[in-house]
Amino acid sequence: MQSLSPATLLVLVPLLPLAGAVLTLLLGRLLGSRAHLPAIAGIAAAAAVAVTLLLGTSNQVGSAHGPHAEPVRPVEMITTLWQWASVQDAYVPPEGSAAALPGTAVSSAGGAARAFTIPVALRLDPLTATLLAIITCIGLVVAVYSVGYMHHDPGYPRFFAVFSLFVFSMSMLVAASNFLVVYVFWEAVGACSYLLIGFWFTKPEAARAAKKAFLVNRVGDFGLAIATFLLWMTYGTLDFHDTLSPDGTILPGILGQTRLADAGGIVGGAVGTAICLCLLLAACGKSAQLPLHVWLPDAMEGPTPASALIHAATMVTAGIYLVARSAPLFMACPDALAAVSIVGATTALVAGLIATVQNDLKRVLAYSTISQLGYMFASLGTGTLLGFTAAIFHLVTHAFFKALLFLGAGSVMHSMGGVIDMRRFGGLRRIMPITAATFLVGSLALAGVAPFSGFFSKDEILATLHAKGWPNAHGEHHDAAPASHASLPLPLGEGRGEGAPATRLASLTRSPVAASAAVLDTPETFRVLFWMSLVTAGLTAFYTFRAVFMTFTGPTRVPEEAGHHAHESPPVMALPLIILAVPSAIAGWWLFNSQWLAHFLTATPSFSAPAVTATAVPHAFHMDLAIQGTLAAAIGIVIAAIGHLGRRSDGPQMERFLGPLQTFFANRCYIDQLYAGLIVRPLEGLALVAALFDRFVIDGLVNGVARLPAALGGVVRRLQTGLLQRYALAGVMGVLAIVFVLAWRLRG
Amino acid sequence: MMPLLAAGSTALLHNALLVGAILFALGLVGILTRRNLIVMFLSAELMLQGISVSLVAWSRYHGDWGGHVLVIFVLTVAACEAAVALVFVLQAFSRTGRLDAAAWQALREATLSRSVDHALPESDAVPPRWPRLARAGVLPSADEDAALEREHV
Repeated sequence: MQSLSPATLLVLVPLLPLAGAVLTLLLGRLLGSRAHLPAIAGIAAAAAVAVTLLLGTSNQVGSAHGPHAEPVRPVEMITTLWQWASVQDAYVPPEGSAAALPGTAVSSAGGAARAFTIPVALRLDPLTATLLAIITCIGLVVAVYSVGYMHHDPGYPRFFAVFSLFVFSMSMLVAASNFLVVYVFWEAVGACSYLLIGFWFTKPEAARAAKKAFLVNRVGDFGLAIATFLLWMTYGTLDFHDTLSPDGTILPGILGQTRLADAGGIVGGAVGTAICLCLLLAACGKSAQLPLHVWLPDAMEGPTPASALIHAATMVTAGIYLVARSAPLFMACPDALAAVSIVGATTALVAGLIATVQNDLKRVLAYSTISQLGYMFASLGTGTLLGFTAAIFHLVTHAFFKALLFLGAGSVMHSMGGVIDMRRFGGLRRIMPITAATFLVGSLALAGVAPFSGFFSKDEILATLHAKGWPNAHGEHHDAAPASHASLPLPLGEGRGEGAPATRLASLTRSPVAASAAVLDTPETFRVLFWMSLVTAGLTAFYTFRAVFMTFTGPTRVPEEAGHHAHESPPVMALPLIILAVPSAIAGWWLFNSQWLAHFLTATPSFSAPAVTATAVPHAFHMDLAIQGTLAAAIGIVIAAIGHLGRRSDGPQMERFLGPLQTFFANRCYIDQLYAGLIVRPLEGLALVAALFDRFVIDGLVNGVARLPAALGGVVRRLQTGLLQRYALAGVMGVLAIVFVLAWRLRG
Repeated sequence: MMPLLAAGSTALLHNALLVGAILFALGLVGILTRRNLIVMFLSAELMLQGISVSLVAWSRYHGDWGGHVLVIFVLTVAACEAAVALVFVLQAFSRTGRLDAAAWQALREATLSRSVDHALPESDAVPPRWPRLARAGVLPSADEDAALEREHV
């Protein structure tokens, strides 16, 4: 491994699962019950390489030496595989636009035509290394679990092929260094998600759920497409990194170190906010935030390992990754940042409320995922270094314990013969001790009980929200209004400048609102968000332990579908549970104490922008916030215990107190019905009109054209009478016609 | 060298051509209209004769022998054609027993119906009843051998 350069290793991480996928596709039928081997081999090798890369990058970053460590230099490595598109002289950036960064050699050549190039470039920096390790390692654990779970399924090879393809797509997504390449793999993970949700496509609900997931994701992809267009219009490039033009000048990438080092490099104002809001839309689609969250609960129709990997640990984190990667862009638009936080916290609360009345264990976990992703967005939207690193920290811990919980639910479902309604079984800790124990570990982590991992990451999120809401509470004096919107220095932006480009563009890139304090980015907003998050923490603990108590405590009840399955899962399924329980328990404490992840992530170029590092605070453990968080969790657990522990585990007890609210939340706040009436029905009507048009007008035209020769033939057929003299008459008429024509020509 | 025929006048040409045209037209109408195979053949021969007359007329007009030569050819060809055509007519007759061109309609399109003869109006008229005389004389003897003779070829 040492002889391979980091660039080769970086390329190997997505390549090995791709090779596994291709092999599984080609040889799947041949391998039969061993069809998992190429996929697992590919993912295992990729996991080993990813961990190696993580360690190597960590060595490069250096270790944290307490709160006064030397400033961290950004670490990134770019490797370009090939030029996907290269159009010379594509456009001419106008003078003074952000596409020509002032201060670099490009601005002096403002009239020169720029080329449109899309390199397929991969990058390696701390953020990418972390996510690659998570994706491949959790992918490996879930793949091993799937060997047991999908054992008798006729589509066994297809599952592993798509699984491996997904790992490839997700790895490429987080490693890509160009917005268009990210878009390609954004779509690719959406397609793999569709294939996995609709794995049992003969079941109508599964097919419908897959279609719904893909269409809702498409709405988000629209946002990403618009953002990509706007980014190219504004910055003249789609690369994250700086590139060298053929004549030796540096072309600054959108998130490249050249641009980030310049105070005015990132465009703000209306254009910047539009870009950020479109990116937020894309993230909402992929990470199932309000209002595009409707696909995730239905996506539970897919196999549980797919849910564990895709809808808990990896694909839904693509939105988080996108916003985190675009941190400098968001820092220039404080309103967009606050919008991210508002969307996140609102989603967390609403999803938490809906989860309290769900009876399907997987649905509870699905809404829990939406809620936790809301937490991460809330943290990202605070716009501080702590916020960004806390979001990634929570992403890491959430990946572990949520995957664990989903695999545990799958284990329960497997034993109960496909039944996952919690009201139909109970007291399973006696027949499935390993599942029960690991599920308990995961639930404690999810609820945020110390010293499990979820506690620390959630505590950091609450800390950053608290710091934005009460800026001077803990003595930090970091600027609540960082350099981003103090005053945007230069008239940036695009536009074919006729007239006075500076003033006209300035009105686009410097909104009058941004000149004063931002509308949304106020401490009052974050105070509300903080309280919402605290309530959500309590709700999280409640519904998690409601699920635990209803499933594992009380009298042992087994539904009749279970048959002889009602026992502990085989080791191939139980071992991954144990493997995931370990980091769920200790990863949070270890990462928090050593601050390794936070220090490591500060070396990411996106987080080393001055706007972000200006908000850095020394690491501290805030006891008051810890107490508040633990109190909320404790209240939730106690109420859950009162309602569902032991003998009362067989049905909804607490929900009776909610009354009409219970039906409201059980129907998912009627959002699905709203979309059905507002969007789906009109579209179905439109589709019906189009279908009728196709059947009657277009097919009618085509059939009519087909009927024309037949009609003609029918007319001509009547000449063949069988009467000899009629034929002779036809000949004579022809001759007469020729004679007449000749005579006419020769007249005169 | 035989002297050239005297070049004819235009009026003679016109009249001769007219005769030829009339013969040709009559033959054409005959072929198209008559149903009897023999008569159809006759009409074809009539057309050929019309052409021959025209050729002779032109040849007389231009004063050279070319047309006459062609007429000899035409007559020869007509004779050969007569032989062949009558063989066909005989075959057609022996198949169906009728000399009617309309008997050979089976080669029509399957969707079309057979052309049938409509009764002429005057055939609807009641045939006149002639008075019948009593038999007189001796009944001729019935010859069994003769009865086996076919009437038609």
